[in-house]
Amino acid sequence: MSMEEALQTFFAESHELLQEMEDRLLAIPALAEEDRSETINAIFRAAHTIKGSAGLFGLDGIVEFTHVLESVLDKVRAGQLMMDADMVSLFLDCKDHVARLVELQESGATLSTDDQGKGNELVARLSVYLTDTPQAAVAPAGEASHPAPAHPTDSLALESLGGNVLDNDNWHISIEFGTDVLRNGMDPLSIFRYLGTMGHIVRVVSFFDRLPALSELDPESCYMSYVLNFHSEADKATIESAFEFVQEDCKINILPPHSRVADFVEAIKNLKQDDLRIGEMLVKSGTLTQRELDAVLAYQTAQEQGDSASQDPHKRPLGEMVVQAGIVQPEVVEAALHKQIQQKKAKSRQQQSIRVDAEKLDTLINLIGELVIAGAGVNIVAHRSGQTDMLEAASTLSRLVEEVRDSALNLRMVQIGETFNRFQRVVHDVAKDLGKEIELEITGGDTELDKTVVEKIGDPLTHLVRNSIDHGIEPADIRAARGKPAQGKVRLNAYHDSGSIIIEVQDDGGGLNRDKILAKAIEKGLVEPGIDLPDSEVYQLIFEAGFSTADKVSNISGRGVGMDVVRRNIEALRGNIEIDSQYMAGTTIRIRLPLTLAIIDGFQVKVGNAHYVIPLDMVIECVDLPEENINDGHDSNYFSLRGEVLPYMRLRESFEVTGETGKRESVVIVKYGNTRAGLVVDALLGEFQTVIKPLGKLFERLRGIGGSTILGTGEVALILDIPGLVQQMIRKSHHETSRASVKE
Amino acid sequence: MANKVIMVVDDSASLRQVVSIALKGAGYDVLEGCDGKDALSKLTGQKINLVISDVNMPNMDGISFVQELKKKPEYKFTPVIMLTTESGDDMKSKGQAAGVKAWVVKPFKPDQMISAVSKLIQP
Repeated sequence: MSMEEALQTFFAESHELLQEMEDRLLAIPALAEEDRSETINAIFRAAHTIKGSAGLFGLDGIVEFTHVLESVLDKVRAGQLMMDADMVSLFLDCKDHVARLVELQESGATLSTDDQGKGNELVARLSVYLTDTPQAAVAPAGEASHPAPAHPTDSLALESLGGNVLDNDNWHISIEFGTDVLRNGMDPLSIFRYLGTMGHIVRVVSFFDRLPALSELDPESCYMSYVLNFHSEADKATIESAFEFVQEDCKINILPPHSRVADFVEAIKNLKQDDLRIGEMLVKSGTLTQRELDAVLAYQTAQEQGDSASQDPHKRPLGEMVVQAGIVQPEVVEAALHKQIQQKKAKSRQQQSIRVDAEKLDTLINLIGELVIAGAGVNIVAHRSGQTDMLEAASTLSRLVEEVRDSALNLRMVQIGETFNRFQRVVHDVAKDLGKEIELEITGGDTELDKTVVEKIGDPLTHLVRNSIDHGIEPADIRAARGKPAQGKVRLNAYHDSGSIIIEVQDDGGGLNRDKILAKAIEKGLVEPGIDLPDSEVYQLIFEAGFSTADKVSNISGRGVGMDVVRRNIEALRGNIEIDSQYMAGTTIRIRLPLTLAIIDGFQVKVGNAHYVIPLDMVIECVDLPEENINDGHDSNYFSLRGEVLPYMRLRESFEVTGETGKRESVVIVKYGNTRAGLVVDALLGEFQTVIKPLGKLFERLRGIGGSTILGTGEVALILDIPGLVQQMIRKSHHETSRASVKE
Repeated sequence: MANKVIMVVDDSASLRQVVSIALKGAGYDVLEGCDGKDALSKLTGQKINLVISDVNMPNMDGISFVQELKKKPEYKFTPVIMLTTESGDDMKSKGQAAGVKAWVVKPFKPDQMISAVSKLIQP
């Protein structure tokens, strides 16, 4: 039986009990006094049962109300109270209210203020019967006037006196009058009367525990202490002011109503002013009065001095003291502490950063781009002039320009953490949709990358994360069968790696099924049958348009749109994607992105009359083309670098450059990811600060060229798209090897 | 039943007037004294429910006045509100020794006085 069903039973049962309660109540007036006990018992039992069951379901509203009702009924049952017509109608009202509470619970609605007001009113009417004052109690006066044993300032005593249920909306005021108040012309009754002008004194409990034996009693002295339950809309300072003239001789504790706690917490949250101390916050929110604060602070200082004498360095925090003194609820102090931490955080953040319009930054970066180009022009002129001092000045200039460029680019760097954190929600939602249990782990959130990149990486990342959860992480039963914990894990990670930033999306799911992907690829005609592809290339196939191996199309993934878009987005950022996967163990998707999109360190080379730029962080070394390769024509695509076989390509041929050849050919060894390859060029011109200018729309789809730049001389140089070229070389060599193997 | 009686002692006639108007408006009867000596001479055993007195007055200051007042058995328990200025801390401790617990800081508005009075007695 589910909890839901049990709850339904409770509703039905409650309605029955309430109906019975009503019937019995209506029968009471007709019954003789001595014949009522059975009926009263039944009424009591009904309330008692509802309260008990409601407690099981955590229906606190019902429990609280029925508790009061039950307490009064208990007195009736014990013969301490007589059930008269007024009481019957009160109980009938209470029964209706309980029925209303149950109905609200049933329909899932919340308590309206009307209902709440009704409840409070009933509780107030009921509690009249609960006070031990003689006029309400049927019991002999002597019995009721026994002094309560506890000291009024003891907060425990307060609890046991009224119980929080009754006092939810009331102030708790405990006051221990000084012995001299009467002698000073102060009349406690006057103060209570004054208090009565700003609210309603619900209850007064008198304490006589300080009363000495009659022989020692001084009739001019005051020995009284009181606890008041006070209902008022006034604030704490106003209530405290009633005791203005006696507070020096008296111990006064004013605890705000429980129902106000939320207001205080809200008030603290809304405090505009920064830099407030806990005490000031509590005073401003109205929880603590200035006088209370001063008293506590004085006490704290006194204690501190005492402590330093006793070599105890422990200083009690203010919040702890006011809670212990019973003048502020712990929830309120907690809110104040929270606010303080927030303020500190906000402040330190404010001090560390200035907000700058992104457009201004872009303008700056553009200008610096122009500066870099102009600087290169100056350099060329200086070299041409051959003047030493000119050359020196130019070299200082270019060093400074380089520094300015770096710091300007740095301005655009933002941490990826914020983007990562958004995925908590994505993971939560997707996992819920799919009924999977997923934990998201985030590392490397402090890795910085260009703002533009961060903005554009969100969508592709979302897709990859959704994909990991949908396809990667297996359903719980399969995970259990594979010996994995039921909760799947998705990990987002970022780090720097040789001039690139790597973003990883990792899952501990089922991994990619190589055979399935290959079969699908062959079916779609993407791969010729019989060709042996390395794993990494097989996995790359999932990024082809219209490719999906999901058996079941969900609304999250599996339609085969998306992964190709992901790849296109990443490539638009001059990045690429690699996949590592182990069947049954999980998949890691690694996105490699350039740190910045605007200016890079480049390596300038020349082929014929054309200049090209290779991103410097991809250049490993430059060597002369080995002699055996110089005249090898166009058959071989490999050369040996210290015994290692590397693929290479002649840019002159690839780009069909005309013009005279150089005296010798050089090879620039480039590395991309884990692959190394050689590019044969005519001349090496050295490092060069490259301001990347995008190619026009016409050349967008051109392979092998990533952009253009303007040289110091005003000439245009093309920036090589190394990832594209490396892939092209590998693909070509594969084709050739496979063709060769087919021939054999 | 007769109204409760409040004695107002201050050397400023205008202050006495304003306070009197306010107190009478609130339902009290008022007896005035222009200094401590004058006030004592007017207190001849009749019932007084509250005394409002200034500190700094000619002939007999407020503190001495209260000391004298408290010596009389019929006024021993009569509450006293003392009017003071912000800087009167020294005065305050003297007044406390004399049995003054209620202080109202000058300048005050009539309704502030009424509010202070009603904390001690009600009409």
